Amino acid sequence: MTQTQADTTIQRPATVQDVADIIMDAAQAGCRLAITGNGTRPGLGNPVTAAGTLSLGGLDKIDFYDPDDLVIRAGAGITLDELEAILLAKGQYLPFEPPRYAALYGTDPRRCTLGGAVATALSGPRRILSGAVRDFVLGVEGVNGQGDVFKAGGRTMKNVTGYDLAKLVTGSHGTLAALTSVTIKVLPAPRAEISLVLPAAGLAEDTALFSAIRALPLGVGGLARRMNDGGTCEVVIRVEGTQPGVAGNRQVLEGLLQKRGGAHVLVQEESQAQWADIRELACLHPRADELVWRVNLPATAVTEFVARAREAGCINRFFIDWAGGVVFSTMRGVQPEVDVLRYRKMAESIGAKATMLRAPCAVLTRFGAFPPTSSGVAALAARTRAAFDPAGILNPGRMSLQPQEQGHA
Amino acid sequence: MQMPQPDQSVINRRETLAAGLTRIVGAQWVIVDEAERRPYQCDGITAYMAMPLLVVLPGSTDELRQVLRFCHDNAVKVVPRGSGTSLSGGALPLEDGVLLVTSRLCEILSIDRENRVARVQPGVPNIKISEAVHHLGLCYMPDPSSQLISTIGGNVAENSGGVHCLKYGVTANHILGIEAVLITGEVIRLGGAFLGGAEGELDLMGVLTGSEGLLAVVTEIAVRLEPLPEVARVISMSFPSVEKACECVGAIIGAGIIPAGLEFMDRKVLDAVAALIRESFDSRTEALLLCELDGTAVEVDALVQVVNDVARSQGAIETKVSTTQEERERIWSSRKLAFSAIGKLCPDYYCTDGTIPRNKLPEVLNKMAQLSEQYGLDYANCFHAGDGNLHPIIMYDAAKPGDLEKAEAFGADVLIACVDAGGVLSGEHGVGVEKRDLMTHQFSEIDLQQQQMVKCAFDPGELLNPGKVFPTTCRCAEFGRMHVHKGNLRFADIPRF
Repeated sequence: MTQTQADTTIQRPATVQDVADIIMDAAQAGCRLAITGNGTRPGLGNPVTAAGTLSLGGLDKIDFYDPDDLVIRAGAGITLDELEAILLAKGQYLPFEPPRYAALYGTDPRRCTLGGAVATALSGPRRILSGAVRDFVLGVEGVNGQGDVFKAGGRTMKNVTGYDLAKLVTGSHGTLAALTSVTIKVLPAPRAEISLVLPAAGLAEDTALFSAIRALPLGVGGLARRMNDGGTCEVVIRVEGTQPGVAGNRQVLEGLLQKRGGAHVLVQEESQAQWADIRELACLHPRADELVWRVNLPATAVTEFVARAREAGCINRFFIDWAGGVVFSTMRGVQPEVDVLRYRKMAESIGAKATMLRAPCAVLTRFGAFPPTSSGVAALAARTRAAFDPAGILNPGRMSLQPQEQGHA
Repeated sequence: MQMPQPDQSVINRRETLAAGLTRIVGAQWVIVDEAERRPYQCDGITAYMAMPLLVVLPGSTDELRQVLRFCHDNAVKVVPRGSGTSLSGGALPLEDGVLLVTSRLCEILSIDRENRVARVQPGVPNIKISEAVHHLGLCYMPDPSSQLISTIGGNVAENSGGVHCLKYGVTANHILGIEAVLITGEVIRLGGAFLGGAEGELDLMGVLTGSEGLLAVVTEIAVRLEPLPEVARVISMSFPSVEKACECVGAIIGAGIIPAGLEFMDRKVLDAVAALIRESFDSRTEALLLCELDGTAVEVDALVQVVNDVARSQGAIETKVSTTQEERERIWSSRKLAFSAIGKLCPDYYCTDGTIPRNKLPEVLNKMAQLSEQYGLDYANCFHAGDGNLHPIIMYDAAKPGDLEKAEAFGADVLIACVDAGGVLSGEHGVGVEKRDLMTHQFSEIDLQQQQMVKCAFDPGELLNPGKVFPTTCRCAEFGRMHVHKGNLRFADIPRF
């Protein structure tokens, strides 16, 4: 049901120079280009109408990997699976735990790319502890809308030389530049991992528990409240670190959970499988005709927000991650015109950010996948976009609709 | 170092402009008198000075907004400043520009314990945030060594680091939302007071952070608060050579450990400190590493053991581990005193902050020794080894003609060596005016142009902090009209400052 461009040609260059030439040609011809990695998340963001598609999937080489310096630079098209395997061989990992979300779009998760993770800035459950994609992007190389190859940032852990364009490009959904390579800070993977799982109580009680746990320096890198297939809910707490550290923190947590009747423990692979499911929103099981939403909000607001949204029929299935800081939910696609606006309004009224991760094209085109911003921020973003892509040929409209196209404007 | 030629016609309007600004903030907060402007003529780099046209201290976001708008409408340049602790000349005034000081905007607006967020005004000194939340068992992690004085607004402008950023990250990793004012006086709000508050937006907050006051003036910041680590212990490790100490840095990180801090001091620094605190270090020691480990008690004990073993296997002469908070503070005191101790050895010193891949430490440190001979200037080394963030302290005497220029040239050569080793000009102090003219060594013309295009999106009139960061003006009007393909120099004719 979701799709993007009705394209004619897909170009898949293997060198940065070819990327530059394709964009330069397109710029001179005034042709719009859809910018993708391997196209595994076609429905994330607003639909793009373009004359052709530029896939960066062919730029898939490792430029260098320096494990002792915790840094790797690779072509934007390298798959996350390959990258993670290379890191794992040295006991390292991507701390931002990039989700694939391929199941939402009916694509192959093994084809999701590093460039795609950076361009969409999707961060997984560990964000509450380790940070977001943006916190690990040290440098980028890309081609702007005029076909110029530029680099920004670097490979060192600290760098304040010039503007941080690497951050700006991260999460820009291919609207500023076609990413050609990315330099990433990596970290030693935790030696040990367990998860404590217990039956959920009320949402308020569970988020209070999350808050109490987060106030302690226990290295908890995952606090979710997931829905089981039967409709019951569970709280999942991930503890990572050194072997003795995890054992010690487990004791502290078990003490804390005693009044909740204790928890059962998932060790290592079991825990990893559980969190892979949470990362991929597996428990939502969205039906083909359902919309999928992500709402970012203060954890203290989540209980009331979910209650109101369920009452209004805006939430069908849902679960909570980031210690209460994000709600993933499905929405029945029966009357999206009414429900989308109502849900967005509810989110906006408490300053939350409601993003449609998946929706029919017509809905996305009308309401926009991303939460609306103030007119001042939108104008500044448009000027910034023009600073990279003056003719507006790179993924035009992917992030922000033209004002006249915004149904709620 | 050369600044753009001041515009005499603006200087001639000083009184009129002062009157206009007085209407916004009140006479008390516009400094016109020359003697009263004098304390503002430099920031943390005292080698560069300029008398500001006027100093203005707004007392609210609204006043600040009006001040910027007034300057915009009158085509007057503006240099924003917090406490003026910049070590790169970022807050160096302009003789034809208004110095906009945020120190009166110094309120902690809210502390949200449940969501672990504090909302603060830009003039709040960094340390005040941690002090205000300490009783909740929380803290604000970034801790630049200027944290007693430097403001959070200045930290955002410079994307400040600190001793603990190896493990915890720099300012950009700890801010969730900001309110900022553009040169036109337009107020924008980015992100929120929670994780993911900027979802679906271009990361304008990310580019504002570290933009050195060239894009906008930040008026409110929502920062993340973190639980205070349960325990912190420091290991002091002495080595018979600089090389051995450098190799140990790589070995610790390579062992899968991310210390909370990992600092390096060479023999000269140790001697200077020893003279100051009347305590001597082992005579065989040529370099000392301080490694801080934090977390829960069990975890820290385990890590201390690993680091100790690594140090021994890397040839450490001696290791000392703190067992009490007092011991920890005593061990750290040598690092904290380092710069003032060096200050006693020489009339003046000059310190830059090039950053390199960690495995290039021996190579670049050797280069420094060579440069020291070449320039005939002594130097010492005390830096954030874990981040590869160098702080060579070049000693000179400003009273000796030509000495400052020699020190500057020495510093510039070190920075060039850093870039050539795959590193960058600045790890935490910023480019400012100090490293401005070296930007072309790190970035290609196209890289720089792309950055300057962003400047044009925020401040096309180039009124905010001009003369900093970039070696040329942006000429925003021309961008977008002219375009030469295939990497040919576009603006070869632009005069450099």
